[in-house]
Amino acid sequence: MSDSTTADRADPTLETRLGRLEEILARMESDDVELEEALTLFEEGVQHVRAAETLLSATELKVEELLASGATQPLDLDDA
Amino acid sequence: MRGLLDSSVEPLWVGGEIGSWTRSRAGHCYFSLKDDRAQIRGVLFSREAAKLPTDPDEGTKVRVFGDLTLYEARGEFQLVARTVEAEGAEGLWRKAFEELKARLEREGLLDPGLKRPIPPFPSTIGVVTSPTGAALRDITSVLQRRAPWARVVVAGSRVQGEGASYEIAEALHRLAKTAQPDVIIVGRGGGSLEDLWAFNEEPVARAIAECPIPVVSAVGHEVDVTISDLVADRRAPTPSAAAETVVPDTPALLEQLRRSPERLGRALRRTASRPRLLLADRMRRLEGSMQNRLVPARRSLEQGRDRLERRISALHTSRSARLATISGRLQALSPLSTLARGYAVALRPDGPVVRTVDAVQPGDDLRVRLADGHVDARVTSTTPHTNE
Repeated sequence: MSDSTTADRADPTLETRLGRLEEILARMESDDVELEEALTLFEEGVQHVRAAETLLSATELKVEELLASGATQPLDLDDA
Repeated sequence: MRGLLDSSVEPLWVGGEIGSWTRSRAGHCYFSLKDDRAQIRGVLFSREAAKLPTDPDEGTKVRVFGDLTLYEARGEFQLVARTVEAEGAEGLWRKAFEELKARLEREGLLDPGLKRPIPPFPSTIGVVTSPTGAALRDITSVLQRRAPWARVVVAGSRVQGEGASYEIAEALHRLAKTAQPDVIIVGRGGGSLEDLWAFNEEPVARAIAECPIPVVSAVGHEVDVTISDLVADRRAPTPSAAAETVVPDTPALLEQLRRSPERLGRALRRTASRPRLLLADRMRRLEGSMQNRLVPARRSLEQGRDRLERRISALHTSRSARLATISGRLQALSPLSTLARGYAVALRPDGPVVRTVDAVQPGDDLRVRLADGHVDARVTSTTPHTNE
C-alpha cells in the first residue's frame, strides 16, 4: 500500500485510479453522502475515468530489459 | 594392463542395486553396485555428479553408463560412471522432487495461506526467463493483445543447464529490488524433465518464497508441475496463460470505465434530489404529528367548555335562589314595611331622624314620613314620657 500512496502523489497508477474510482462509486451510491461531498466526488471520479482511459489507450507494449546495473533499456524482440 | 583395458573395452551399461553410496567433500561420488551374484566398485566424478538431481539410496535399482578401468593401487576393477539413472519412471528426478517438496512443506512454504493475490491492474510486469526463448515471445504477444498499456521488464536468465537455478533466483531478486514491478512471471517453455529441472531446485523455490512481489510460475506445458509452481503465488499452465492471468481484458475494462460517468451522474442526481424528498417527507410527518397533538387538545377544550357552562348554569341557579332569600330578608328589614304597619318617622327639615323629644322645640318644622308619602307639620309642644 505504501507504494500506491507514493504513486498517488506523483502520477497515480492505473490500479490506484481504478481502485479510487470504485471507492468513489461506492461512496456516492451510499445513502449518507452529502450533496457537497457528492459533487466533489463526482468531479474526482470523472477525472479518474478520463485519465484511466488515456492510460489504457496506449497501443504499443513497452518491453525493457533489466541490466546488471539495475537500469533498463528497450528490448526489441525482433532482433533477439 | 590398464592401458589395454582402457583401449579395448567400449563404454558400457551396467545394471544393479546400489550397495553403498558416499559423496566426498569435493563432490565425487563413490559407490558399489551389486546383484545377487557379484559386485563392482564405481566412481562418479563431481562434474557428472553435479548433474544428478539427488543421491540414490542404498537398494535403489540403477543403470550406470561408464568405462571399465583398473584401480591399480587396489588391484580392483572399477566403473568410472558417466551417468547414473534410477530405474522406473523419472527415477531420481522424482525422488529429488519429492524430497524438496517435503522439506518446503515442513517449512510451511507451500501453505495456501501464504499465497498473495495478483494485483488486478499491474502497470509493470516483471518477467524472469530466457530473453531469447519462446516463452518471452508468447508472453509479450498476449500482453500486446490484451494490455498494450502495460510495461514489461525482462530480467534475462538461463533457464536450463548447470547453475541455471541460481541465475533464475538472482534475476528474481534483482528484478524485485530494482524495477519493482507489480507482479512477476517466472518460467520457460516446454522441454524434457531435465530441461525444466532448474525450476525444481531449491534456489528457485527459495527466491520465489522470499520475493516481496507476487509471483506467477509458468513452466513448460500444462502437465509439468514443478516446485516453482508449488511455491509461487499462482501457477499458470503455460507462459501465455501466465500473461493472461496477470492483466485484465482491456476492452472489458474500457467498457466498464465508460459506464462509470453515467453511474456517477445517476448517484449525484439521486443525492441532489434527496433534500427535496426529505423536506416533503418531514412536512408530511410534521403535519401528521400536529394533527395527532391537536385532537386531544380540542377534546379537552370542548370538555372544559362543557364543564364551564354547567358550572355557570349551576352557579346561576344557586345565586337566583339566594337572591330571592336575600331580597325577602331585605324586604323585611326595610323601614317602608314598618311604615306600612302604621309607624311613622319624624325627620327634621335638614334631614336627621328625630329620635328624642329633646331634639325639637315647639315651633320647629317636621316632616313625618308615612308609608305612602309624607306630611309636613309644626311642633306645638314637647312632652317627655314620665316613668310611672
